[in-house]
Amino acid sequence: MTEMKKFNVLVVDDEKEFREMTIKQLLHRGMDAEGAENGLIGLEMVEKGNFDVVLLDVKMPEMDGIEALRKIRQAKPLVEVVLLTGHASVNSGIEGMKLGAFDYLMKPMEFDELLDKLSDAFEKRRIQLEKIETAQIKKHMSLPS
Amino acid sequence: MERMSNYYTSVTRRLLLAFFCLCLVPLLAVGWITRNSLRDINIIRLQDQATATVTAQAKVLSQVLKDHINRLTMLVNFLPPSFFEQQGNTEKLFLAIDNRDDIVDLQSIAANGRQYAYVGPYRTQVEGKSYAEAPWFQETLLNGVHISNVFTGYRGTPHFVVAVTNPLKNYVLRATVNSASFNALLLAAQISPNSDAFIVSREGDFQTPSLRGDTTLSATARTLIGAGGSEAPIITDDAVYIARPLAGGRWFFIIKADVADSMSVYIPLHRQIFIVFTILFILALAAALAVSIMLARHIRHADQEYAANSMQFAQMEKMATIGRLAAGVAHEINNPLQLISSQASWIAELLPEEDPAKVKNLGEYTDSVEKIRYHVKRAGMITHRLLGYSKKMAAQQEEVQLNELLNETISFVEKEAESHDITIRRNFVPDLPPTMTDGPQLQQVFLNLLNNALDAAGEKGEVEISTAVSGSNLVICFADNGAGIARENLKRLFDPFFTTKSPNKGTGLGLYISYDITRKLGGSLEAGNRESGGAIFTVRLPIARLGEEALSR
Repeated sequence: MTEMKKFNVLVVDDEKEFREMTIKQLLHRGMDAEGAENGLIGLEMVEKGNFDVVLLDVKMPEMDGIEALRKIRQAKPLVEVVLLTGHASVNSGIEGMKLGAFDYLMKPMEFDELLDKLSDAFEKRRIQLEKIETAQIKKHMSLPS
Repeated sequence: MERMSNYYTSVTRRLLLAFFCLCLVPLLAVGWITRNSLRDINIIRLQDQATATVTAQAKVLSQVLKDHINRLTMLVNFLPPSFFEQQGNTEKLFLAIDNRDDIVDLQSIAANGRQYAYVGPYRTQVEGKSYAEAPWFQETLLNGVHISNVFTGYRGTPHFVVAVTNPLKNYVLRATVNSASFNALLLAAQISPNSDAFIVSREGDFQTPSLRGDTTLSATARTLIGAGGSEAPIITDDAVYIARPLAGGRWFFIIKADVADSMSVYIPLHRQIFIVFTILFILALAAALAVSIMLARHIRHADQEYAANSMQFAQMEKMATIGRLAAGVAHEINNPLQLISSQASWIAELLPEEDPAKVKNLGEYTDSVEKIRYHVKRAGMITHRLLGYSKKMAAQQEEVQLNELLNETISFVEKEAESHDITIRRNFVPDLPPTMTDGPQLQQVFLNLLNNALDAAGEKGEVEISTAVSGSNLVICFADNGAGIARENLKRLFDPFFTTKSPNKGTGLGLYISYDITRKLGGSLEAGNRESGGAIFTVRLPIARLGEEALSR
């Protein structure tokens, strides 16, 4: 496995055991990770925090996963979201993609599979951020971008 | 759920009754009305005819009577009274006026009732008679004229008497008239064979014989006379009666026009109408019968079809429910599976940190955890297959070269096949055109069919896989030389949970899912038996090029 970059993950899932296990495993692998038990709290944490990738379960009480996705993408468009479907059908996976999710995973999945997907998402974010930075520098220096 | 045949018989009967009432009854009604109106019109016609005849003939008869009276009146006015006192003169007169043999005798009588002269056959009877008391004599003197009723007279012929007196009422001149000629006139008034024409007195006595031979006057005719001066006819069921007064009301000329006779004119018309209506009736009845039977049969068929469809629908519903149930269960299972996976991978994560020297069974733990993860993965594949998708979206679109895909699929099972001594033969068309489809899902189908073929072929068996192009489709066949598919199983082959294998050897979902996937990819999956023995499964896929979509709705 190639050298994994370090990034900050928010795990949003109402299943406590899964949430805590995933965070534990992420931390063990050297990532930063935190959890939220529903979409509302998740949204709040994204707005206030500094997360790179959000792992979002689509079936949840309080705020439907797709709703949460919409709001998160609105609040922080550069934060990538990976959807988890276990209860919902494939369609909500595709619907999520249309709304801007990076990709989706289906339960049950291997931890390594999950980590690969999260880092792919992070990679995309990193490239986006770089592009923006470059553009800003060029602007600052009045160079054609 | 099939109704008894009695029900349909009663339906037929009810329809027939309805048709009967709707079509046939009006037909009969029209026929009846036509017949009656014909009769009514005819009676009016008959009425007119009778009225015309009676009026005309009454005039003639009256005229004849008047002639007789006038003849005598003229004589008494013309000749002096003294003339009639002479027998010889009276004889001369008799000979002069009797030119038609209708005057039987001639008699002159003095005002006091004593006879002056008599010419005729009853000379002996009238000799010395006095007529002073005779009512007719008195009446003649009083009214100046008298006509008697008809009586059977000399030689059995009908006679009546006409008597007049001179203006000064000195004497009476009397003549007996033969009314046979009268009677002849009546024949002309007989409208039809069964009709009648006759003259009756005010009292109802026949003056001329009834042409039909009646001896008594009918009640209707009596009523007619009773009405006196009324000119209106009386209509009964079988005749139209009409009367005209004669001789100042002493006599009545009556015509009885027979209705049945006049109706006989219409007999041919009646016959025609009857025939037409009968034919129409029969046709209508036949049509009603045919339609009723057909309709009832149709209803029966429709009911049967409905019943069959209902059953089929119920069956489909059941299948769908089972499908949904299975999907629901699969969904439920995915969560605990995920947790098992998470826990197992956590253990696997931490085990390498252990010191093998300190942990006696480290190898076992590592192995076990691996196995747990493997089986969780397997379980996940099963639920995902059941839910109709593999690891990715519903249908990927990538260019797939089927021959290559098949080769890859075969490579998965080669070892297994070898261990059972099963030969796998490939019969691929070279340059098979590629198609845009979902490779992984298609591979799932191929794997399923291949495994089934291997199972069917058994030890030392043969499996043949072929590819071909047919029109705009790619055709892939999986054939084995096993026992083939039993006839009764062919229909249920693709039903969920249908399996001929022992319970721990299969879920019965493989073909169900394969069928579903093939359909979703726009193709078809068929099962059958080969002539040379064994089963053959045929997958058809439309050739879709880049940009086209081969997916079904």
